[in-house]
Amino acid sequence: MFKTTIKGLLAQKLRFALTGLAVLLGVSFMAGTMILTDTVKASFDGLFTEVNRGTDAVVRAKGALSSDFGGETRGRVPETLVDTVSAVPGVGQAEGFVQGFAQLVDRKGKALGNPDQGAPTLGMSWGRTQSLNPFRLSSGHAPDGPTEVVIDRGSAKKGHFKAGDKIKVLTKGPTREFTVAGIARFGDADSPLGASIASFDLATAQQVIGEPGTVDQVVAVADSGLSQDKLAAAIRDALPADSVEVLTGAQYTKENQSDIGKGLSFFNAFLLTFAMVALFVGAFIIYNTFGIVVAQRTRELALLRALGASRRQVLRSVLGEAVVVGLVASFAGLVVGIGVASGLKALLQALGIDIPATGTVIKTGTVVVSMLTGTLVTVFSAVMPARRAGRIAPVAAMRDVAVENTSRSTRRAVAGAVVTGLGALLLVAGLVGSGGSALPKVGLGAAVMFVGVAVLGPVLARPLTLALGWPIARLRGVSGALAKQNALRNPKRTSATAAALTVGVGLVGFITIFAASAKVSINDTIDKAMRADLVLQGHFSSGVSPALADSVRKVDGVDSASGIRVGQAEIDGGTKQITAVDPASIANLFDVGITAGSLTGLDKGIAVYTGIADQQHWKVGDVLHVRFPETGVKDLALVATFDRKDVAGNYVVSTGTYDANFADHLDFAVYVKLAKGADGAGVRTQLQRIVDTDYPSVKLQDRTEFKKAQARQIDQMLNLIYALLLLAVLIAVIGIANTLALSIYERTRELGLLRAVGMTRGQLRSTVRWESVIIALFGTVLGLVIGAFFGWSMVKALADEGFTTFRLPVGSLLTVAVLAALAGVAAAIGPARRSAKLDVLAAISAP
Amino acid sequence: MTILAGSTETTGVAARAAHAVKVYGKGDTEVRALDGVTVEFARGAFTAIMGPSGSGKSTLMHCLAGLDSLTSGQVVIGGTDLSTLDDKRLTVLRRDRVGFVFQSYNLVPTLTALENIVLPATLAGRKPDQAWLDNVIDTVRLRDRLTHRPSELSGGQQQRVAVARAMAGQPDIIFADEPTGNLDSRTGTEILDFMRKAVDELGQTVVMVTHDPVAAAHADRVVFLADGRVVDELLEPTAEGVLDRMKKLGD
Repeated sequence: MFKTTIKGLLAQKLRFALTGLAVLLGVSFMAGTMILTDTVKASFDGLFTEVNRGTDAVVRAKGALSSDFGGETRGRVPETLVDTVSAVPGVGQAEGFVQGFAQLVDRKGKALGNPDQGAPTLGMSWGRTQSLNPFRLSSGHAPDGPTEVVIDRGSAKKGHFKAGDKIKVLTKGPTREFTVAGIARFGDADSPLGASIASFDLATAQQVIGEPGTVDQVVAVADSGLSQDKLAAAIRDALPADSVEVLTGAQYTKENQSDIGKGLSFFNAFLLTFAMVALFVGAFIIYNTFGIVVAQRTRELALLRALGASRRQVLRSVLGEAVVVGLVASFAGLVVGIGVASGLKALLQALGIDIPATGTVIKTGTVVVSMLTGTLVTVFSAVMPARRAGRIAPVAAMRDVAVENTSRSTRRAVAGAVVTGLGALLLVAGLVGSGGSALPKVGLGAAVMFVGVAVLGPVLARPLTLALGWPIARLRGVSGALAKQNALRNPKRTSATAAALTVGVGLVGFITIFAASAKVSINDTIDKAMRADLVLQGHFSSGVSPALADSVRKVDGVDSASGIRVGQAEIDGGTKQITAVDPASIANLFDVGITAGSLTGLDKGIAVYTGIADQQHWKVGDVLHVRFPETGVKDLALVATFDRKDVAGNYVVSTGTYDANFADHLDFAVYVKLAKGADGAGVRTQLQRIVDTDYPSVKLQDRTEFKKAQARQIDQMLNLIYALLLLAVLIAVIGIANTLALSIYERTRELGLLRAVGMTRGQLRSTVRWESVIIALFGTVLGLVIGAFFGWSMVKALADEGFTTFRLPVGSLLTVAVLAALAGVAAAIGPARRSAKLDVLAAISAP
Repeated sequence: MTILAGSTETTGVAARAAHAVKVYGKGDTEVRALDGVTVEFARGAFTAIMGPSGSGKSTLMHCLAGLDSLTSGQVVIGGTDLSTLDDKRLTVLRRDRVGFVFQSYNLVPTLTALENIVLPATLAGRKPDQAWLDNVIDTVRLRDRLTHRPSELSGGQQQRVAVARAMAGQPDIIFADEPTGNLDSRTGTEILDFMRKAVDELGQTVVMVTHDPVAAAHADRVVFLADGRVVDELLEPTAEGVLDRMKKLGD
């Protein structure tokens, strides 16, 4: 039977090539994602090994809070610890190390590099011990004194700086001018992964990016011959165990690597989700192609049965084809995946996300998972068609070629409705629920819904095709009418083909609706809850000095201004984000919707979102125990509850409380309210001047610009997701082309007849094209309906998170429909051309 | 040749082939399907083309009908030299001036009987001549089957729809390729009677390829082909007479 399998495959080269393409694309995306992630991970791993090569032990404060994305928040340690460590026997060298935010400013007063989404902008202390410093000076000398800085060669090249030049550096305070003492390289690279570096001597670093008298870490080198473990143990014995921890250099490197690994696994999962969507769409196409091919080969398979092949043999021969297609396509996908990895990197780069990746890392796991997934998806999708093939009766060999028959529509309607309903329930359960099972539930629910709608498809195909085909038949005459009839003649095939597009369009529709609702909701929140007239937005990863808020307050025409700070603290056993505001001006700047108490006592207390307070049975006047990473547990009285958590989050404290408990006092943004009757344009000009001179990374926005900036962030995410969903849509389009090619093959004689009695090539092409458009629109309509449901339930589920409004962006959705119709036209190009090229005589006498 | 072509209009010739040669393959595998055929088909006549298999009768019909092209020679339909036409004009000629009845698979399965009958007119974007159409439908007695799809019609009914479609556009000539080949003899006779009526009562011109002497006997004239040449001709044929000639050709 194996020979027949191979012969069967060869006889249907084109069809299986197209099916294989559907698998290939999904697998290549999956493999590409894994290769990219592994490559990035390896690059980071190498980097950390390089950075920490000379470090034998690291002493630092105990971690207080762990965050969701890897890494811990921890405080600093007193600088005196450096001497203590140095005195430990076995320690060769020890020195304090400080790291923080420092932004280099170019000669035009603009931030160097692409600080919005690019690599980090780091400030640090210059290691005096050769083996503890990964940097090597390429010119100039080490920084010495409060006016000197060493910068990385990458930034020096970009900004045309050389040793001896003056350079402005933005740190915790206003911009300060330094002299470039030297230019340094990082190992063999001009800069570490494209990050910009400003390196000061320890005292200066403490002053501008850290805190005088403290360091972030004490790093040590062992005397020669002493192992890292022994050194760490010796240091540990000499230090109080309750506040500091000691790691070996190797442990520290491993920790760095695993933190990055955690961050990357999130990124990996995000991309793999889209690979799964692509494979899911591919599964529909495989199912459909095998279904059609089995139907077309009914006579041949029946003949095999008549000649003595068993059911099982026929079934196995079809499944065997699936295995071969799956293996070949998966392998090809793996190879293409290497290209996809660099393509993905380019895509992310184009969207402003710069990630380091050197070389190409292909792990055995990638190979195994890709081959296995691709092959299993193919075989699994071919099981139903294979079973159908097995059930073909030998007598069918004598009959005319049978078309696939649609099972009774009531049974199908009920089954489809039940499956769709189950999917919807699962989805809603996932959205309403929380915890680890929520996301998989939502995903599975969505997948089940798509399957349910695919089951319903043949029932819906007739009325929907009639409705969609009507205007086409009216406008396009005989070609349109025939196209409509052709789309109608096999509802099962039409709907199975459309189902693939339904998935892609459903997700596109969902994300479009969700984004539109998010934008409306954000605008709504800004309109209703934000009273500030101007916003000074700091750099997203570093914030801005509190000095900015102070300068702003002094400007004439400013009524009040408050910096907003965010930090993490442990409340009720979990790490929570808390927001700090100036109690004196908050009422002028925001309306958080106080439900009980008042914010006047916020100086020594905390305000909590009503939903959480109710859930925890907290009442105004209760005392909450809040554990801060650097200062430990503090008791804060609950002074107010509020119902707008979309403004300032769930927990709000005063700037004073924040400053008392966090070492870094950086604002995330500064909100400004103008005085009554103030000259808005004039104030703005003055603020802009402050920003331009001292805070080049800050963006000054009025309410409209602020809204636009929020919308832009959403659009950026939206574009990324569109780009990633494009693959699924592309696969669906291939599916349509595949079905059309198979249908045309099946209708050869009919096409010959039409050409004989006077249908022109153009008319024939047009017929194929419009059939494709009808199928595409059918899939699109179903997709948009499902997408609207997803969007609606998501928005409802997130009502608590500030999603106030559900918005159907009709214009955007119509654009999606038009694009889908155009995709239909594109899918028809090949099949239409083939059909028009048919030799009339040969076609009409075809078997 | 243009003189000849022009003369066909006046002399009542619907179609003619002159020195028609059709060669398939090259060198050793060369087959001369048509080897210099010259034949005329009178307007308003029912002509049968007969010959043993491989005689070139189907090839001749395909070339006459604009479905295939000659290697050399000329085919003229209603004054138009087919060799001067590109694919598009050939298609339009088939649509507007030629009617077809094939042995089987004559109808588009997604269209009703009526839609199939008026298909060439629809393809041309024209309304069919209603009076003529009624006439044709009544001739083939399909009035009560017009809304049925091909799958709901018997083989004979399907073939009647095909005959009606061939006549509906009042073409210069109708080509029928073994139109009764797939039918039982009673239904076949019925179809032949309809074609006879189309010629006698509606003034149509029919050229039919067949290998059945009984079918050929319905024609006004039988042209015999062998080895790609016209070898004989019989007017007012009877089944016995045709069979007789065929036997001779077979010898």
